[in-house]
Amino acid sequence: MSGTLPTSEAPPSAESTVLSTRELSVLSKQRSILTHVNIDFAPRSLTAVIGPSGCGKTTFVRTLNRMVELTPGLSVEGSVNYLGQDIYGRGIDPVLVRRRIGMVFQRPTVFPMSIFENAAFGLRIIHESEDEIDKAVTEALQRSGLWDEVKDDLNRSAFSLSGGQQQRLCIARALAVRPRVLLLDEPTSALDPMASQRVEATMRGLKEEIVLVLVTHNVGQAARVSDRVAFLHAGNLVEVGPTAEILERPREALTQQFVTGRFS
Amino acid sequence: MSSTPVPGVTGDREPLPSPSSSAARPRPPVGWRRRIWRLVPYVPALVPAAIVVAIAATLVVASGLHNFGLGFFGLAFNSNLNQFGMLVFIVGSFLTAVPALFLSMAIGLGIAIASTTYLPPFLAKIFDPFVDLLAGIPSVVYGIWAFLVIAPIFGNLLNPWAVAHLSFIPGFAGNSVSPTTAGVGLPISIFVLTLMSLPITTLLIRDALRSVPRDLWESGLALGATRWEVVRRVSLRHGSRGIWSAAFLGFGRAIGETVAVAMVIGSTDKLPTNVYDVTWTMSSFMFQTLDAAFGNSLYLAALAELALVLLVITLAVNLLGRRLVRHIYAEEVAGL
Amino acid sequence: MATAVGSAVRLDPSDDLRRGDTGWLRWRTGFDRWMGVLLPLLFGVAILPILDVVYYISAKAVPTLSWSVLTSYADYQAQDALGVPIVTTFLFMLAATAIAVALGLFGGIATAEFLPERAAGWVRMSANLLAGMPSVIVGYFGYFAFVIYFGWGLNFIAGVFTLAFFMTPYIFRTADLAFSSIPRPIREAAYGSGAKPVQYILRVGTPIAFPQILTGVFLAMAIGVGETAPIILTVQPGLLVPNTLFQPAVYMTYLIWTGFSQPANSVALTLAFQAAFLIIIAVLALNIVVRFVAARYRKRLEGLYQ
Repeated sequence: MSGTLPTSEAPPSAESTVLSTRELSVLSKQRSILTHVNIDFAPRSLTAVIGPSGCGKTTFVRTLNRMVELTPGLSVEGSVNYLGQDIYGRGIDPVLVRRRIGMVFQRPTVFPMSIFENAAFGLRIIHESEDEIDKAVTEALQRSGLWDEVKDDLNRSAFSLSGGQQQRLCIARALAVRPRVLLLDEPTSALDPMASQRVEATMRGLKEEIVLVLVTHNVGQAARVSDRVAFLHAGNLVEVGPTAEILERPREALTQQFVTGRFS
Repeated sequence: MSSTPVPGVTGDREPLPSPSSSAARPRPPVGWRRRIWRLVPYVPALVPAAIVVAIAATLVVASGLHNFGLGFFGLAFNSNLNQFGMLVFIVGSFLTAVPALFLSMAIGLGIAIASTTYLPPFLAKIFDPFVDLLAGIPSVVYGIWAFLVIAPIFGNLLNPWAVAHLSFIPGFAGNSVSPTTAGVGLPISIFVLTLMSLPITTLLIRDALRSVPRDLWESGLALGATRWEVVRRVSLRHGSRGIWSAAFLGFGRAIGETVAVAMVIGSTDKLPTNVYDVTWTMSSFMFQTLDAAFGNSLYLAALAELALVLLVITLAVNLLGRRLVRHIYAEEVAGL
Repeated sequence: MATAVGSAVRLDPSDDLRRGDTGWLRWRTGFDRWMGVLLPLLFGVAILPILDVVYYISAKAVPTLSWSVLTSYADYQAQDALGVPIVTTFLFMLAATAIAVALGLFGGIATAEFLPERAAGWVRMSANLLAGMPSVIVGYFGYFAFVIYFGWGLNFIAGVFTLAFFMTPYIFRTADLAFSSIPRPIREAAYGSGAKPVQYILRVGTPIAFPQILTGVFLAMAIGVGETAPIILTVQPGLLVPNTLFQPAVYMTYLIWTGFSQPANSVALTLAFQAAFLIIIAVLALNIVVRFVAARYRKRLEGLYQ
């Protein structure tokens, strides 16, 4: 029941970090999946997380909104800090964490409802008023670039949309609750090139507003949309920095090998 | 499965000419033979269908499709006077099966949600078979247990309590002492039917919930919803076909249940006057009066016609329920 | 809270992860937790009756059972003697199962192996419809068809065939499922090496599918042993084990049906409890065997999936 929802932020400040991790490790019974990851995410940026398959990118991003807890047998050490609070701290409800840190999955996962109800889902469960829901849904659909394509009939079933449109609906759905961070786990891997382009355009737009963390196996995509790139290998954060640096002049040999396609 | 071409049956093999066949012997064209062979597997495959048809046909013949007139759906039943009003039994069937269905669906939903969402997997694996075990207990065993153990509880405890506290609800007032044995009547029959249809409703709802893809479920949680909210708003909607199927098949089970109900329904050919009263259902009435009808051809015809009514209801409900579910056989587990 | 990030970011109440919008959040989380407690308790609705049924019947029957009771062929209407019902039920089961297998096995295999999808769908629907028939209707069919029209009278053979028709769809479904779930690679390998369908079924399919079909037969028997209506409506109870097919015969469930409302300590009620107990034992035993066979079958099939 929030009276004022955040609109555009004040001019960026160098010290402000919306999300960061400190010594973040994830361990299963047999091995460690992530080891001592330290990374900061600045307010209006898109950080691409790249690395070979199995390096832990998906696990990493799932620790950022406590979705990693859904996988049995994993333990999380270290901290993930959202606006100065460790989201794994005592007394912190993951339900609230996930409202501030949203997620979009690999395949479009629209609910069996109308377009409007999909987007409104996150607001309905917090019992927002109809007016607020209306406004927020419209805004979210606009931010995700889907508005013009669906505004004529929002009561259509979400399944009547194409794959790319459904994925943008998922983005809109996540945006409707006004998160500060949006996690995207390979959001275009199930889409055709045209649809992927639309989603990338959406991401480029959103990174002016919120924090985006994009897991991608497509280095080209990272080059196209991201401000910073983080390279993970075997659970270790090998290198992180501005996109141009990492992709063209990486400091680590491993990074160099990966971005030039020696291994994937 | 049968989509891969089956050599031999759709055969393209010519019969090998026998050595001394140079003399022309009239041979049937190969195509004709092939077509016959292709039909052979249908013979055993159609056995269940044939039995169903045989059952329907037998009942039709037995009833002679007698025109008992509208009185067939009336209240007056007296075999001596050739009055065969079956309304009491039809009403009785619905009065017991419908509440039982509601209860069974509600409990089945709860158990299925608990099993798929709230219980840790190892616990769910332990508890789930218990519900299936319910289906393994024969109807007549349920009946004797219900009659001797549960009926007194209803008669001495639950029914009087309801009369004392719930009589403001229409039908709950009045005499709760049944004219026959303590506790028999509608409430305990509903209880028994709920238990007996629970396995099929729970199993089908559980299957429906399990069919929700993992990332759909996680998408819900990732939006800041609680487990309950995702189940209620997403999972149940996704599995709605399976849940409807559970309702239809559960109802079919409840209305067809015969022996256990016969033992606790009170077996009276009168409409119940309140919710505690005794009455009769189609299936239990048919079961219990067949031998009284021996030799009375009109009586037998009437009973056969009632059987046809029950058959039609059962077939309709089962057809509808099965069309909704995509699996071949929803209950491969224990022949529910 | 604002101090954490300075004035750079305007904060929303829900940014405070510790308290957030306590109003709804507490309620929603609380409700979810309640459901996590209440819903699993509903399992009790299923578990308690099962336990109570088994306990009650066992408690009533076991003290009265003895070897002599089980083997006595005396008149069960006058005294506690289960010999005749046990043996007769056994004969019923044997005969009915044999007929049910004959009727259902080949159809199930044929459906899995030969029928095109659409036809298979209809055939399976018919099997499901038959399985969903109320037992009283099958009993009525047996009465009119076998007892009256075939003229077999209220004798053993009528009950055997009625029960067999009742059990057929379960065997049918299991055979169909067993053959349908043979891994495709195996099937294709067999046909690829030139096997004819019958050869495939006999040499490859049956050995693989056999355990599953066996479990299906046992499950069908577990269902059949507890059935009442199909037998009672078609067979007159007899005091002797039938020698020929055209004699009265008694079934275990008959004892329960006739004895359940008799006075306590009467022979009939005692027999009812004992019969119920034996039936539960039989069903339990069959289910245990099924699980055992199914486990071994799964192990065997895992090897096939290499």
